[in-house]
Amino acid sequence: MQWNHFLYFAFPSAVCWAIAAILAFKPQHYRKSVVLTLAGVVIFSLFIVGMWMSLERPPLRTMGETRLWYSFFLPIAGLITFMRWKYKWILSFSTLLSLIFICINIFRPEIHNKALMPALQSPWFAPHVIVYMLAYAVFGVATINALYLLIRKTEKQASSIALCDNLVYVGSAFLIVGMLFGAIWAKAAWGHYWSWDPKETWAAATWMGYIIYIHFRLHKPSEKKTACYLLIFSFILLQVCWFGVNYLPAARGNSVHVYSQNL
Amino acid sequence: MWKQTPGYIEGWTICSGLFITGIVLQLYSGKIAPDLLHFPINLISGVLFLIGLLLFHLISIKVKGIQWFAGYAAAVTSLSSLLLLVIIMGLTRQLPSSYDLSRENGFVRTGFMQMTVSWPFILLMLYFLWILGLVVLRRLSRFKWKDTGFVFNHLGLFIALFGAVWGSADLQRLRMTVSMDTPEWRATNEKNETVELPLAIELKAFTIDEYPPKLMLLDNITGEALPKKEPVNVSVETCPFEAELLDWKLEIVKDLPYAAGISNSDTLNYVEFHGEGATSALYVKAHNVTDDTRKEGWVSCGNYLFPYASLRLNEKMSLIMPEREPKRYASDVMVYTKSGDSKEASIEVNKPLSVAGWKIYQLSYDETLGKWSRYSVFELVKDPWLPVVYSGIGMMLVGAVFLFISAPKKI
Ligand code: HEM
Repeated sequence: MQWNHFLYFAFPSAVCWAIAAILAFKPQHYRKSVVLTLAGVVIFSLFIVGMWMSLERPPLRTMGETRLWYSFFLPIAGLITFMRWKYKWILSFSTLLSLIFICINIFRPEIHNKALMPALQSPWFAPHVIVYMLAYAVFGVATINALYLLIRKTEKQASSIALCDNLVYVGSAFLIVGMLFGAIWAKAAWGHYWSWDPKETWAAATWMGYIIYIHFRLHKPSEKKTACYLLIFSFILLQVCWFGVNYLPAARGNSVHVYSQNL
Repeated sequence: MWKQTPGYIEGWTICSGLFITGIVLQLYSGKIAPDLLHFPINLISGVLFLIGLLLFHLISIKVKGIQWFAGYAAAVTSLSSLLLLVIIMGLTRQLPSSYDLSRENGFVRTGFMQMTVSWPFILLMLYFLWILGLVVLRRLSRFKWKDTGFVFNHLGLFIALFGAVWGSADLQRLRMTVSMDTPEWRATNEKNETVELPLAIELKAFTIDEYPPKLMLLDNITGEALPKKEPVNVSVETCPFEAELLDWKLEIVKDLPYAAGISNSDTLNYVEFHGEGATSALYVKAHNVTDDTRKEGWVSCGNYLFPYASLRLNEKMSLIMPEREPKRYASDVMVYTKSGDSKEASIEVNKPLSVAGWKIYQLSYDETLGKWSRYSVFELVKDPWLPVVYSGIGMMLVGAVFLFISAPKKI
């Protein structure tokens, strides 16, 4: 399995997800859209498994490989939200977001590289990155919901911001686990659990952003607009942490977290 | 919006006050000496901090006014102020904390380029910890079982941060370069001072496992990998091996992982050689499917002893082998302690060795010699507060599970 096979898996998955997203608007098609989303997820996971086997390492090293996981987890996060809270539009958004990442991978492919430098060869590597990607996907959905709330200003806001809350609790749980796994791994690989490396600094900032959101919501449940802006701000911090540090002049040549030369 | 909310004004005022005090202290007295808080001063001040917290908490039961410090407004404002400093830190290049700032001017003197040892950061951090401590005490003093998740999250974070802050001065990170067959007990610290250790390390053997050799195309003139935007390469896993790079069909007929380059007059030839300094070489036959030209010859990455060899395919490009990437490197060592024990062990990246309270990490080796390196560089770390930090981390991991379960609220 190689990157040039990606289209053969991504396209059918995307079609499944898109049809499911459309069907989701009609309550009588609920089951069909769940099954179709799952089918897309299965097809997509075949590619990930294939890549994993042919690379002989988890596909988690380069930006393209992590985008792969992002496009994989988004529909899953969307599906769980859809099944749990029955939001009709959520699948459309998760599909759209996933599609964006798929397109980036198709139009900016990366070289096939098997090598995994010694520091990355650790049992902590896969859980650390996968848990982070899950958190990112959940926060992505929460951010979309916040934007939707700010634009639509519907009467049903009371219930919809509760969706943000739930997603932020779930996302923060993943984020905290990802961060702490990272700390334990850093201790084993570099001798210290926290070194304020640029990536770590921005991870701390992201974590603080979401913790502020949680407490602000508990404190001032009626100030929803401020809460939505906080959520969007936190998501921006997260973007800086994810790929922004690769471009920040302050982090250039200064971060142990920049592994791939071609982004 | 926050301006009208009582509670937030106080919070912002206190945080700005601490920030300005921090800046003034920074400008007058310079940064915090990183080893100000060595044992036992850190232990004493840590205990005092905890006693102070407890007293403050007990007083706040009577004096309602100061219960504000254990509430949401204090938490949100102190977290936000700290977040601001962390963002500044993320946007400015950070200098090592041992670097001397006193001769610098302007922005640099504010200490923002050594954020973690600057006064504003430390003051806001301590204030933040103070509030977190009060929050925990207040909830613990009227504990109910449904608060379990809360306690794991907040107390866990408090313990982890407390251990990290008060333990930071006791953290020792030393570097030691150990040559083959010569025991070494001296290491250097971050200030480049020599430190003698109660243990000695002797390097017995150093090994590198490498990934299979790779082939790629280089532009003859610019030296850039081709094609420019997305360079291609093949990894030669077995021999014989066939592969394609752009419009070239490659056939690898000989693979010498241990080779010596021998040049006579105008040709460079590679033969099998198992001695020290051997390099890696491939004999490649290339066939261009577009214009049907054929080329063949040796390609080698070379090393400090033998030259590299590339195969010139046409005027535009050559076939080369980039330096082989290490998959694993390890040092077989003998460790001697003062008590007369000796121990044989292997140290590699991600697999440090623990001896007498020290953890020994494989850091690097002589990169010019590569797999024939005659020395290994180790990092020795001693962090007596680590158990404190780890118990906090453990609690937070449990707390995360509670956070996850507590999420699905009825909508
Ligand atoms: C790991 C990070 C944190 C998480 C996941 C978290 C989560 C929560 C949650 C879910 C609650 C509501 C719990 C309940 O009412 O039972 C809460 C309450 C609270 N948290 Fe946090 N929090 C975190 C860190 C902090 C920090 C750093 C502070 C302060 C500096 C703080 C201050 C507070 C306060 C003041 C309350 C209200 C307590 C009370 O009413 O007794 N939290 N937190």
